[in-house]
Order: sequence, then structure tokens, then C-alpha cells
Amino acid sequence: MSSWFSRFYEYILSLFWSSEMDITLLGLQNAGKTSLLRVLGGGEFTSDSIPTIGFSMKRVRKGRVTIKCWDLGGQPRFRSMWERYCKGVNAILFIVDSADPATLQIARMEFEALVSKPSLEGIPVLVLGNKNDLPEAYDVDSIIDIMNLKSVDDREVSCYSISAKESVNVDAVLNWLVSKSN
Amino acid sequence: MSYKKNEDLDSGPGGSVMDKMTVFQDCIAGFNSSPIQPRRCRGLLTKLAYLLSTGDTFARDESTTLFFSITKLFQHKDIALRQMVYLVIKELAQNADDVIMVTSSIMKDTTVSSDVVYRPNAIRTLARIIDASTIQAIERLMKTAIVDKHPIVSSASLVSSYHLLPVSRDVVRRWTNETQETVLAQKMFPQYGGGISGPTPSFTTQYHALGLLYQLRSHDRMALVKMIQQFSGASGSLKSPAAVVMLIRFVARVIDEDRNLRRPMYALLEGWLKHKSDMVNFEAAKTILEMKDVTDEEAFPAINVLQLFLSSPRFVSRFSAIRILNRFAMVRPQNVNVCNIDIESLINDSNRSIATYAITTLLKTGNEASVDRLMKQISGFMNDISDEFKIIVVDAIRSLCLKFPAKQASMLSFLSGVLRDEGGYEFKRAVIEAMFDMIKFVPESKQDALSYLCEFIEDCEFTKLAVRVLHLLGEEGPSTPQPTKYIRYIYNRVVLENSIVRAAAVTALSKFSVIEDEAVQESVKVLLRRCLDDPDDEVRDRAAMALRLATVPIPVAKGYLAPDAVPSLGVLEQQLILYVTGGPDAASVAFDISTVPFLTKDQVDADNFRAKVSSTMPSIGSSLDSGAESGAKGSRASPAGGLHEDSTQAYAAALAKIPELQVFGAVVRSSAAVALTESETEYGVTCVKHLYKAHLVLQFDIDNTLKDTVLEDVSVIASPSEDFFEEQFIITLPKLGPESQGTVYVAFTRPEGEYETASFTNTLHFISKELDPSTGVPDDTGYEDEYQIEDLELGVGDFLVPTYVGNFQHMWDQLPYEASETYGLEGVSSLSDACASVIESLSLQPLEGSELPLQAATHVLKLFGRTVQGGKVSALVRMAYSVKSGVTLKITAKSEEEVVAPLVAAAIA
Ligand SMILES: Nc1nc2c(ncn2[C@@H]2O[C@H](COP(=O)(O)OP(=O)(O)O)[C@@H](O)[C@H]2O)c(=O)[nH]1
Ligand SMILES: [Mg+2]
Repeated sequence: MSSWFSRFYEYILSLFWSSEMDITLLGLQNAGKTSLLRVLGGGEFTSDSIPTIGFSMKRVRKGRVTIKCWDLGGQPRFRSMWERYCKGVNAILFIVDSADPATLQIARMEFEALVSKPSLEGIPVLVLGNKNDLPEAYDVDSIIDIMNLKSVDDREVSCYSISAKESVNVDAVLNWLVSKSN
Repeated sequence: MSYKKNEDLDSGPGGSVMDKMTVFQDCIAGFNSSPIQPRRCRGLLTKLAYLLSTGDTFARDESTTLFFSITKLFQHKDIALRQMVYLVIKELAQNADDVIMVTSSIMKDTTVSSDVVYRPNAIRTLARIIDASTIQAIERLMKTAIVDKHPIVSSASLVSSYHLLPVSRDVVRRWTNETQETVLAQKMFPQYGGGISGPTPSFTTQYHALGLLYQLRSHDRMALVKMIQQFSGASGSLKSPAAVVMLIRFVARVIDEDRNLRRPMYALLEGWLKHKSDMVNFEAAKTILEMKDVTDEEAFPAINVLQLFLSSPRFVSRFSAIRILNRFAMVRPQNVNVCNIDIESLINDSNRSIATYAITTLLKTGNEASVDRLMKQISGFMNDISDEFKIIVVDAIRSLCLKFPAKQASMLSFLSGVLRDEGGYEFKRAVIEAMFDMIKFVPESKQDALSYLCEFIEDCEFTKLAVRVLHLLGEEGPSTPQPTKYIRYIYNRVVLENSIVRAAAVTALSKFSVIEDEAVQESVKVLLRRCLDDPDDEVRDRAAMALRLATVPIPVAKGYLAPDAVPSLGVLEQQLILYVTGGPDAASVAFDISTVPFLTKDQVDADNFRAKVSSTMPSIGSSLDSGAESGAKGSRASPAGGLHEDSTQAYAAALAKIPELQVFGAVVRSSAAVALTESETEYGVTCVKHLYKAHLVLQFDIDNTLKDTVLEDVSVIASPSEDFFEEQFIITLPKLGPESQGTVYVAFTRPEGEYETASFTNTLHFISKELDPSTGVPDDTGYEDEYQIEDLELGVGDFLVPTYVGNFQHMWDQLPYEASETYGLEGVSSLSDACASVIESLSLQPLEGSELPLQAATHVLKLFGRTVQGGKVSALVRMAYSVKSGVTLKITAKSEEEVVAPLVAAAIA
């Protein structure tokens, strides 16, 4: 009887206190989306991550918030499908490989195409320059420049420099996400 | 466990039909809502699955939208929901775009622990969405799943691999070791017996693994034989009877393809006759009886086993046994009649299908005396069996008419009886076909059969059948003693029927206007004139045409109404197809009907007779390769409808196009193709012998099976053993590419009007050039080479054309010249083998069903035909068989031309 009651009590509490949110992880292939998600969920970083074909979905809990993360494939053939999974999400994480200058220009173009979609208007975006453990990585200001983030004025845009591998700024990402739950 | 009826499925109050668009809208809304309600979503998915599986389809964009909204459900962990998701994605996969999107999500689910219920579903769905560009990504996962300890997981991945073959055979081939291991692993399901009421444990995974292994190795005969040896071994590594049955099908294929392996393979089959599973016994027996030219000794043990099953208490065993025996009785009644007593006891079996097979088998194996009794028996329950079985009965009766013409009266009354019964189109068609046969081949039955048919069209609901009967009445009616009787029946149709039947009736009527009797001619004209007012154009036109023909002399009119020769329809169709698909060039000239050979009535009858007799033979070969492999072979200038058309007609059109050969005139006779090489040599050669009036042309069809060699300047040197044959010219083949076919012709003169035989030794000559493996370009320098092929015989049979005759005895008595010879045939182990080889070497038509010996000890074979000059020739072959001395036979030949009888009698040497 008492265990039944305590379960019921927790359930009532959860109705008032817990909340769910949806976010998507976007970015070119090999930027580190899947690795970051594993680390966000409390997992170990592994260097033999296989490319995501299509999407994969993972729940991450932070306090009373459950974050449903949609990790999308970055290959060109999947980019046209990003929009379908971004409609109605609470936030978008856009991850770039800050140590690979060759891909940053393409990343900027994909980013601009994304934020110009009317259906995604107003959704807050967090741009992450990943792999800052590598010596050749650009710092956060360079990323802001290269990605031309200052020109976005119709929504909240933030930018962090992180490392999924060394867990640098991963908590900051989580906190930013939780702040977007409603 | 109890099931509650799922109320959600009967949509809406009042049980109205589920509306597709409503379901679509509900799904989109339900799957995109947050949070997900798993129960509600499962209900929606069930509705969707119901619609998809009952034939409803969604447009491509709708399917795609549905698919993407379903992918949102991956956020919920509910196991039952996930299972439903997979079932529906599998259905939608073919019809939606970008389904590749769920790959990573599914891959996660395929690596969960074995007992998660949806893991097999995930694997099966994965196979449906994967494409050639992503299959590598799932390779490791599939290999692991194939060898998973859980049989359901293992089976799911094996069956999925099967479906992946068309996506990438090469990748799947790399899983051979895992598949092989799984055949041997003997995974039992359910693993723990399943309780008292549960299913009996089985080893079905083994069956799935073996099937896949075959697909991976079937291209390689040696590997296949090894596989058979391995799995048929004494260790008995196959526990699943279904797997053994499949292995037997592989054995059947090997026996069919390689004579040398027949003995060891047969030994395996014989062993399986004693297997503890009856499924295996049946498959082994069936395979033995379907072997090409199975000998009496080989057939015996199989028949023995089937005989035991005939008295089994289980319906399904009795049914399977009698069905296999029935098929075998169609070709070899003499081997089945040892079972007659057991089959007799099945006549009254409470299962009508078994009874039907029993009776039709006895009709084949029994003697003439039992026919009446059996027919009475079967009439007793014709009304209780399905049309499909009625057709089996009618077919049996039909072939019986040809065998025992003396029984025609009772068979005919049986047929007319069932014609009055209820029945569908196919059944009625079978009955009137049988009657048509009797009219053609059993002349005594003609009058009565025609009357029954007249009665039939008075009340016939099938337009097609009425038209056929009217056509027949037009063909046969005018030559009967009382043609006016048919005129009345035909005219009734003009008054009472739809326009298609009316038109057919007018044509039939017009054929009576060429009867040499003025009173009849006048009355036909009166009737035709009435048809000129018919509301239908076609009917009026036909009547007008017929009336116009009534004003010309009768022989001229006959040319239109009842021509002596008709075009060979097979060739005509072929030529017309060439003509209409030939582009604007071909269409600028009129179609040339002279390229189509014309057949006399005699020839058409003989062809039909042959087709009838052979169509009652069961077809051999199981459907082993129907799935993943399709065997489209390159076509060449060969007879179109091999069975139905005399080969001469089919070749004629092709030969007529070769200018060098045109001067020889028309082909008189073309032989069947003879193989001059073993199968599977570098070069395959077959030869067709074409006889002209004073020439002989040998057509060598050459198949270069090498992948990397071109042949140039290909010719054949054919040296005759007799010098009456003088070589005229060779039409060589300038170039024969790798893995392609071509033809060389060698022309000789031959003594006109004579029947000189000879043998030819043949050598293939050519320049061989290898292809550079990297560029595919042939080397500049080739080398000259020759290749010995087998000798070719031009025998008496090549001068004879099988022909049908209705009354053998009458014809036999008329022929003036006679000769006979006696032979002992060693190495021939049964009378049916002897019959087959005599028929083949003489090339004459077997009559009265005499190609199938009924007794094992003695038999008389009756043959008839014409020479290429048109003279009649007939042979009566008496044969006797004993184990000690083999087959002894005496050929008595009679002919119209003096020289022919002795030649035929001596032809067997
Ligand atoms: N050095 C370094 N490598 C990383 C980091 N994050 C990911 N990687 C590597 O980058 C590659 C691609 O990562 P993945 O998560 O599959 O990228 P995705 O295609 O965006 O999902 C992998 O080899 C990872 O090991 C990081 O923070 N530092
Ligand atoms: Mg990824």
C-alpha cells in the first residue's frame, strides 16, 4: 500500500515538475554530433564512432528535464531531411569541426540555408565549434566570424567552443539546453 | 489466454468502412503529438497495417509523409509499439521515399539482447530499407545475427539475407561461412519444449540456412554436390524435415544435369524413402519418379513406399501418395498397376479428392474391361467435387478415348452427361475439348458427338465456347450424311444470340453452301439473305461475303470457305510481330505472306495429336530457382513452339532469308537439333539437318562459352561417308564473340528422289584470339585451331514425317509393300525405353496410345507417317522383354513406295 502511494505521489509530482523537450543535432558528417550526444548522455567518448545513416534518437535527462535528442546524419543525402525533424523543436544544436577549415565554408552555407527556412523561424540555435582539444582548432571568435553568426537577427544564437573528447564545455551546453525548456 | 475483439478496428458507429483519408489524418496528428500516447498510436498503426494489407495504397508523397511521422515514434520505448512500427515500416518501405532515414535507428535495435521481442522485426525491416550503397554498413551486424544463439533471430536474418540478394549478391556471398555454420548448429525452437499445449519443437532455422546457402552456391555445381554430400551424411546433420526436402530438390537438379552423378544421387534418394518423416518419403519418391527415363528397377522402391501410404489412416498421406502415383501413371501406367488393389479401395474414400485421383489413376492403369465400371463410379460423385477435380477427370477420359477407341460410346455419354451439369468455363471448355478430340481422332463417335454439341449450344452461357462449337459444326457438318440437321441448329443461334455468336453462326452456315446439293444451297442462301438485315455490321458483312461466294463456281468458293491448307499460325504470328516492330522501313512494303509456310489439314491434325498426347504428360522440375534467379536464355533461330509445330515450318522462314540457299527451293524436312558436343565444353555445337529436293544443308549452331576468347573465320568441315553427297559450299561465320552464338551452314547435293543415308565426321575450324583482360580488346595475332566434334548420322528417320491417321488397321491393310527384321537390343532395360528409342530413330507417329506399354513383358507399337515424297509408311513393332535377354523386337514395315519398307525395317541397326 505504501509503495503504491509513494509511486502515485511521485507521478503527481512529475506532472507538475518534469518537462520534456525536443532538440536536434545538425552539422556536416564527422563534426562530432554522435560523439557529443554520447557524452551529453553521460557515456564515454569513443574514437571509433560509425557514421549515422539517417537519424538516431536518444533521451538525455538533466534534473527534471528530459531532452529528446534527434541526432541526424550529416552526409549530403540526409541534409534535405533535416528540416522535417526540426519543425517544432525547442532548440537546434549546430555542430562544426573547428579544426577542419576545409569544411567550415560548407558548414556556413548549410547553416545559412537552415536559418532562412520560414518553418524554423525563431527557434534558438547553439553553434558548437567542436574538437577544441586539437591544436589547430579555431577559437570561438573565429568560428563566430567564419559562420557569420552576427548577421542572424531573428532568433537567439549562441556559440561555444567545446570538446566532446575532453568534455570541455559539455555542461555549459546542457545548461543552455535546459534553459530553453518551457 | 483470451482475445478481446479489437473495437478500434471496426471504425465508427454502425460499423462503417474504415476511411483511408481519415486514418491518414489521424496518424499524422497522433504520431506528431507530444507526449506520445503508445496505446493510441498502436491502434492507429494497426488500422494502417489493416488498410495496407487489404490492398489499399497511398500515393507516394502520402506514404512518405506517413513514413516520416512514424519515425517520430522511435522516441518512445514501448516494446509493443516498436513492434508495430516495424510491421508498418516494412509495408510502407517500397512505396515511400528516403526510407533509408531509419537505418541507424533500426541498427540500434538489432543489436539489443536476443530475447527482446522486436529484434527479429528490426532485422526484417532493415532488409527492406537498405540499398546497395548502405549494405556494407550492416554487414557485421547481419553476420552476428545469423549466428545468434536464438533461432528466431537467426531465422529472421537468414530470410532477410535472402531478400538482400537482389540488392547485392556479392556482399551477401561474404556471409557464406556464417550460413554454413548455422545449418550445422541445430537450433531448436521453442527451446524448452513449449509446454503441453505449445508447438512441437522444430529446427526450421536449418531450413532457412540451407535455402540461403543454396542461393549462394547454386552457380557452382561442384559446391552443390559437396553440400549434398556433407548434409546427407550418416551423421544426419539435418534435423528439419523441410531442410531434407529442400536437399532432395538439390539432388533432383544434380541428377537432371549430370548423368555421371545419377547413381550416387539415386542411392541417397533411396535412403530417404526410409526416413522417419513422411514429408521426406514423399519428396524422395516423387523425385525418383520424375527422373528422366527412370528405369523400372529405380522406380520400384518409390512405388512400393507410396503403396504403403495408400492405406494410411491420415488423409494427407493418402492424398499425397495417390497424387504422385497418378502423375506417374500418366506416363508409365504399367509400373503403377501393381498398386491397383490398394487404389481400388480408395475409390470410395470419403475424401472426394482422393477418390478422384484414385479413379483417374485406375483409368490409366486398368484394362479396357474396367473402364465402364469406373466411369459409373465416378459419375456418382461428379457433382460433389470442385471444378478443378472435374477437369482432372475429364482429361483422364479424354486421353482414354485416344487409347481405347472401342469404348467411345460410353465415354461420349459420360461427357455429354457432365456437359449438362453445372460448372464454370474452364470445366466446360475441358469437356468440349475432349469431345472435339473424339470427333477428330475417333471417327466412329463423330455423329453422336456433333449432336451433343448442337444440344449444348442451345443453352450455352459462354460465348467463347458457343463460337468454337459453331466453328466445328461448320468444319465437320457439311461432310456428314445429313447436313441439314446442323443447319437448323446453327440458324437458331442467328436468331437468338449476341452479335459475336451470330457472326460465328453466319460463317458456319456459309460453309454449307459449297455442298453439291442444290436444294441445300438454296435454303442456305435464303437463311443468309435474312442475315443481311442484322443490326450488327460484322454479321451483315459476313453474310454478304458468303452470298457473293455462292455465285462463283464451287471450287473457287471452297478456296475461301474451306481451304485445303492454312498458314502455320506460329510462324505467321512471329512474322507479323517482326513486321509491326520493324519500324518505318518494314512498313513501307506490304507484308509478304509467302514467308509463312502453309500446312495441310493432315499436318495440322498430326501436330494437334502430338500436342494432345504430350500435354497429358506431367511436367518435370520443381520450382527451386523461381525466386532469386531468372533464366532468360538468348534466343536463336529455333522452332517457336517446339511441341506443337513441326520443326520444318519453324526453320523454313529463317532459311528462306539466306540467298545462297534460295536456289535449292523449299525445305522438305528439317530434323530436330542434335547435340554434337558434351554439355559444358568450351564450344557447344548442335546440328539441324535440312533436306531439300536435291540438296542437304547442315545447320551447325555454335556456342562459344569462353569469356575471354573471340573466334574468327569459323567454319565446319563435314565429310560424308558416301560420295553421293557432294559438298557445294560453306557459309562461314566471320566472327563469334565471347559467350555468344552463331551459325555455320554446309550445303551438299544429294541423290534426288532417293533415301540415301550417310554419316558425317565433323571438325570445327577457326582462328582463336584471346581478349586482353584489362581492355577487352582481342589480340592482333590469333592462332589457327580446330576442334573435333561428334559424328552426325543422316538416317532413314530423317526422310520420314510423323503423321496421324484415324484408322490404323484399315490403312495397314491397304499398303502394298512389306518387309521385316528382328533385333535384340542389349542395354535397354524396359519396353518403354525401347518404344521411345524406336519412335525417335524412325521418326514416325505412335498411334492408339501404343507408345506407353501396359505390360512389362510384351508390347505392340503402332507407327505411321509419310516419306518426304508423300508416300505412306507404317510399322508394327512387336517387342518382348526378359531380364535375361533384354528387349527383343520385330519390326514389320509396310509402305506405298517399294524401296521404303525394307529401309524402315532395317533402320534400327
Ligand atoms: N579529437 C576529437 N575528435 C572528435 C571529437 N568529437 C568527435 N571526434 C571524432 O570525429 C569523428 C566523427 O565523429 P562522429 O560523432 O561520428 O561525427 P558525426 O558524423 O557528426 O556524428 C570520430 O572519429 C570521432 O572520434 C572531439 O571532440 N575531439
Ligand atoms: Mg553521427
